[in-house]
Amino acid sequence: MLAKALVLRPLVREKTRSALTLLGIAVGVAVVVAIALSNQSALRAFRESVDAVAGRANWQIAADAPLDEDVLLRLQPLWPRGVRFAPVIDVNGLAEPAQTPIRILAVDLLSDLHFRDYRYARVVTAGNESLATYLSLFAHDSVILPASYGRNLESALTLNVEGVRKTMIVRGILEPRGPATAFNGAIAIMDIATAQASFGMAGKLSRVDLIVPDDDAAALAAIRRLLPPGARLERPSRRNERVVKMLRAFRVNLFALAGVALLVGMFLVYNTVLISILRRRKDVGVFKTLGASPRQIFAAFLGEGLVFGLAGSAIGIVLGGALAYGILGLIGRTINSLYVSSTPEAIVLTPGIVAAGLAVGTILSLVSAIQPSIEAAHVRPSLLIRPGLQQRIGRARRGALGVAAIVCFAIAVATARIPPIGGIAAGGYVAVLFTVAGFSLLAPIIIVTASRVLAPPLRRIFGIVGQLAAASMPASLRRTSVATAALALATGMMVAVAVMIGSFRETVAVWVDQTVTSDLWLRPSKGLSNAQVAMFPPQIADDLNKIAFIAAFDRVRGHDIAYGDSMITVGGGDLGVVAAHGDLPMLTPRDAGRALREALAGNGVLISESLSLKYGKRVGDTLTIGANAFPITGIYRDYSNDRGVAVMDNALYTRTFGVSAINTIVVYLKPGISAEDARKRLEATLGPKYHAFAVLNREIRAEVMKIFDQTFLITYALLAVAIVVAVLGIINTLSALILERAGELAVLRLLGMSPAEVRRMIVIESSILGLASTIAGLVMGYALSWILIFVINKQSFGWTIEFHTPVRLIAAALTVTFLSAVLAGLAPARFAARANIAAALKSE
Amino acid sequence: MRIRLDRVSHSYSATEESAPLQVLDDVTLDIASGDFAVLMGASGSGKSTLLNLIGAVDRPTLGRIRLDDVETSALDERALTMLRRKSIGYIFQFFNLIPTLNVLENVAFPLSLAGVARAEADGRARSVLDEVGLAARAAHYPNELSGGEMQRVAIGRAIVHRPPLILADEPTGNLDSRNGERILDLIRAVHGAQRPTIVMATHSERAAAYGDYVIHVGDGHVG
Repeated sequence: MLAKALVLRPLVREKTRSALTLLGIAVGVAVVVAIALSNQSALRAFRESVDAVAGRANWQIAADAPLDEDVLLRLQPLWPRGVRFAPVIDVNGLAEPAQTPIRILAVDLLSDLHFRDYRYARVVTAGNESLATYLSLFAHDSVILPASYGRNLESALTLNVEGVRKTMIVRGILEPRGPATAFNGAIAIMDIATAQASFGMAGKLSRVDLIVPDDDAAALAAIRRLLPPGARLERPSRRNERVVKMLRAFRVNLFALAGVALLVGMFLVYNTVLISILRRRKDVGVFKTLGASPRQIFAAFLGEGLVFGLAGSAIGIVLGGALAYGILGLIGRTINSLYVSSTPEAIVLTPGIVAAGLAVGTILSLVSAIQPSIEAAHVRPSLLIRPGLQQRIGRARRGALGVAAIVCFAIAVATARIPPIGGIAAGGYVAVLFTVAGFSLLAPIIIVTASRVLAPPLRRIFGIVGQLAAASMPASLRRTSVATAALALATGMMVAVAVMIGSFRETVAVWVDQTVTSDLWLRPSKGLSNAQVAMFPPQIADDLNKIAFIAAFDRVRGHDIAYGDSMITVGGGDLGVVAAHGDLPMLTPRDAGRALREALAGNGVLISESLSLKYGKRVGDTLTIGANAFPITGIYRDYSNDRGVAVMDNALYTRTFGVSAINTIVVYLKPGISAEDARKRLEATLGPKYHAFAVLNREIRAEVMKIFDQTFLITYALLAVAIVVAVLGIINTLSALILERAGELAVLRLLGMSPAEVRRMIVIESSILGLASTIAGLVMGYALSWILIFVINKQSFGWTIEFHTPVRLIAAALTVTFLSAVLAGLAPARFAARANIAAALKSE
Repeated sequence: MRIRLDRVSHSYSATEESAPLQVLDDVTLDIASGDFAVLMGASGSGKSTLLNLIGAVDRPTLGRIRLDDVETSALDERALTMLRRKSIGYIFQFFNLIPTLNVLENVAFPLSLAGVARAEADGRARSVLDEVGLAARAAHYPNELSGGEMQRVAIGRAIVHRPPLILADEPTGNLDSRNGERILDLIRAVHGAQRPTIVMATHSERAAAYGDYVIHVGDGHVG
C-alpha cells in the first residue's frame, strides 16, 4: 500500500521522468553488456578455433621454432602404450590476390582421423573411383576447403605462406564440423607432405598433437625426456590461456570505461530517488504522522531503486545485444591489429551475461537509492511537510563535504602508488574512483561558487531573469549538485581520455619520427594489418644486393612466442645496418649504437620498455627463451605492442628459430636518390617476383597514426555514451526542478514574466549547470589523465607517455558538453513556459 | 481601472476523462474604476476563479471580460503578460514570495521585469518598504520573516509599480487576527493613497467590512 502510494503510482504518473531514468540505467547497462558480449565473441572465436584445430588431442609438443619431424620417430616406442601422435603444420597464410588471411592446417590426412573430424561434402572423383577417390587429396597441389569458403571443386586458390606462393587446386570440400568450423571457415587443409613441399618446410612441423590416454604419467614423463631442445609439452588450451592473459589488461580497460557510463547512470538513480522523496515529502510526512515506520518508508523508496534497476537492466540487456554488433567490429579490429588474428563470431546473449547485466544494473541502482531512502526514513515528519528545507545544503555541511573530498584526494594519491596486482593497475582504478568521489563531494561548493560568481554578470546581461536563474541553483542544491557531479564525471572522463589519447598520440608520433628514419619500406602486402602473415622469402636479399641505388637494407622479421604463462614478440633485424643508418629510441643506454653493437658482439637482445617493466628485466640481465639465454644489452621504447618485444640480429634469429622469411625490408638509399624514383624502380624490379610494395617514410607514419586512431575509436564512443547519460540526468533534474517550482513559476508568470523570459531563465539555469560541470570536469579530467597516463597505462601496458594537452580536442569536448547541458534545458524550459498558471496556483 | 464582465461562464475538468464542473454561470459584473470591491463566498464558491478571470490568468469558457476598454478574453499571451506586468498587482493567501530573492528584490521584482534600472528600482522598492514598515528587513530572505511580514512584502510587491488594479485572494487567510487587521489596514491605506481598483476575495465578514461594497458569490452566480 505504502509502496503503491509513494512509489509505483507516482512513477506511472510521471512517465517522462521515469522514462529518462530508465533510459539512463539502460544505456549504462547496455554498454557493459555490449562490451562483455563483443569481448566474449572475439575471444570465443579464437578459443573455439584453437579447440577445433586441436581436435581430440589432450597434449601437444610445441616450440617457438619449427620442430624437426624426427621427433615422430622418437615417439614411435610409445605407440603400444596407447599414445597417438599427429604431425601438424599450423600457420597463418594469405589467400591471393586479395591477401585475405587464411589459416593453413596441414596434417597426415589418413592418420589424422584419430584427432579431428573431417566429413567430406564433395571430393574430386575420376569416373568409377571409390576409395581411390580420396587419393586426389594427396596430390602435390591439393587443398581442402570448408563449404563456407565458397569455392568450387577444381577451382584454383593461390596461397602465400611465409613469402612462398603456390597455386593449389580445390579437390575436397568439407562439411561444417571439426576444423572446418575454425577461423570462421577461413582455413585451408592439406596433406602435410604437400605443405612441406609447397612452402619450403621440408622436414619441419609446427607441432605434434598427442592423445595420451588418461594422462598416463609415465607416458608423459617419457615424452618429456625425448623432447628436442626448445620444445615443450603442454595442453592445447595453454595457447588460449596465454591469449586470455595477454588481452586481460585491454579488457579490464574497456570495462573500466564502460563503468564510467554506469557510474553516471548511478548518479541518475540517486537523483531520481532523491527527487521522488523531495516531491513526495509531504506524503512521506503524512504517512509518518499516520504511523508508518522508518523501515517501511526506507523499503518503499529502496523499492523504487529496485524497480528502476530491474527494468532498466532488462532494457539495457536488449539494447546491449544490439550495440554489441556495432562495437564488435571495433574491438575485433583492435585485437587483430594489436594482439592475435581472429575473426569474431556472432553475438550470443548467454545466461551468464544476462545475469551479470541484471546484477550490475540492479545492485548499482539499489546502492544509489540507499542514501536518499535512509534520509527519507529518518527525517522528522514536520520537516518533511515544511517545503524547501530538504533542498538546501548548509554552509557547515558543505564544509564537511569539502573535508571529505580532501580525504578522498589523499586516498587517491596513496593508492596511485600501489604497484600492479597480477598485471592489472588495481591501485590506479581505485585512485580514479576516489578522485571521482572527491570531485562529486565538491559539487555543492562548485555550484554555490559558480552561482555567486555568475550572478552579477547574469544580472547585468539578462536582468532579473539572470539573477533569478543564478539564485535558483543554490536553492535546490541537493538536486543540482547531483546533476553537476554526473555531468562533471562524464566530462572529466572525456577530458582525461582526450588528454591520455592526445599524449599517447603525440608520443607515438615522435616515436614514429625517430624510429622510421629510412627512406622507404618494402612489404609483401599493402596494409600493415597483414604484417605478421605476409612475408618475403629470404632470396629477396640477393636481388636487393644487386640494386645499385640502395645504400643498405635491414631485413625485419618477427613472431610471437610463449614466454612463461604469457606471450612476447621476438624480432630479428640487421643490427649492424640499424647501428650505421637507423636509430632506436633508447631508454638505457642512451646510445643506440652501443647497445646494438654489444648485442651483435655478444649474441644479445634489445628489449622493449614494456617487456622490461612487465618482467623486471634490465640491461645486463638475461632473457631466457626456450633453451637459449640472451644477454640484454639495451632497452628501447616501443609502442607497436604491449606484450613486450625482444630484438636480435638476423643471424641469431635464424639460428634460434629456424625462420628465414622476412616481414619487412627497411631500405636506406644512397645520397641523391629520390625516394619516389626508387619506389617505382623497386616495384618494377621486385614487384612481379615477390609481390613487393614500396612504402614511403611518410606513408608509414600516416598508416601508423591511422591504426592508432582506429584503436581508440571505441574509447571515444564509450565516453560519448557517458555524456548522453549525464545529459539525461540534467534533463531529468531540470524537469523535476520545474515540477517542484510549478507554483513559483506560476507566480512569476502572474507577476508579469513572459513565457519567453521563463524559458530564458530555465536555459540560463541549465547553462550554469553546464558551465559548473564543464569547469569541474576539466579540472577532474586533468587529475584523472595524470592517473591514466602515469599509473594505469604504465602498469597495464608498460608504456611511458609524455604528457601533452590536445587543446583543440579538449576545447571541442568541453563545447559539446556545455552545449549539451544548455540544450538539455530547452525541453523543460518549453514545458515551464507552457504551464497553466491557474492550475499551478490551485495545486499550490 | 474599470472591470466589466459580460455573461461570463467558466467550467473546468479535473481530469481529461471527468465531466466539466460549472464554476461560474452567466456572470455579469461592473466594478467602477477606484472601487474597493469585496468578493465574498464560501470555500469553492468560485471567488478565486472569478479573480483569476479578472486578472487574466485564466480565460472564460463563455462571455467577455473588459478591463477599461481592453477585452482581455481576446488578447494573446504576450499582451496578457504585459497587462499583468504593468497593470495588475497580486496579493495571495500564501504570500508567494520568491524564496531565492531577498525582501528588497522581491518588492523590486515587478520593476525589474518592466526594465526599470536597478538603482531606480531599488530606490522605489525601499520607499515602498518604508510605507509597509519593513525597511529594516530589506536584506532578509522570505524564510526569515513572519507570516505578517511576508504579507506586507507581498503588498509592497503588488503596489511598487503603482498598478491601476490590485487583486487580493484571501490576503488574511493565513494570518492571525491581529496581523490580519494590520494587513487590511494597509490595503485600505494603499487604496486611500493611490486609488487603484481593488478586488479582494474573502470569506471573512470582518475583512469584507474594509471594502466599499460586497459582491456575494455562490453556486456560480454573483449577487
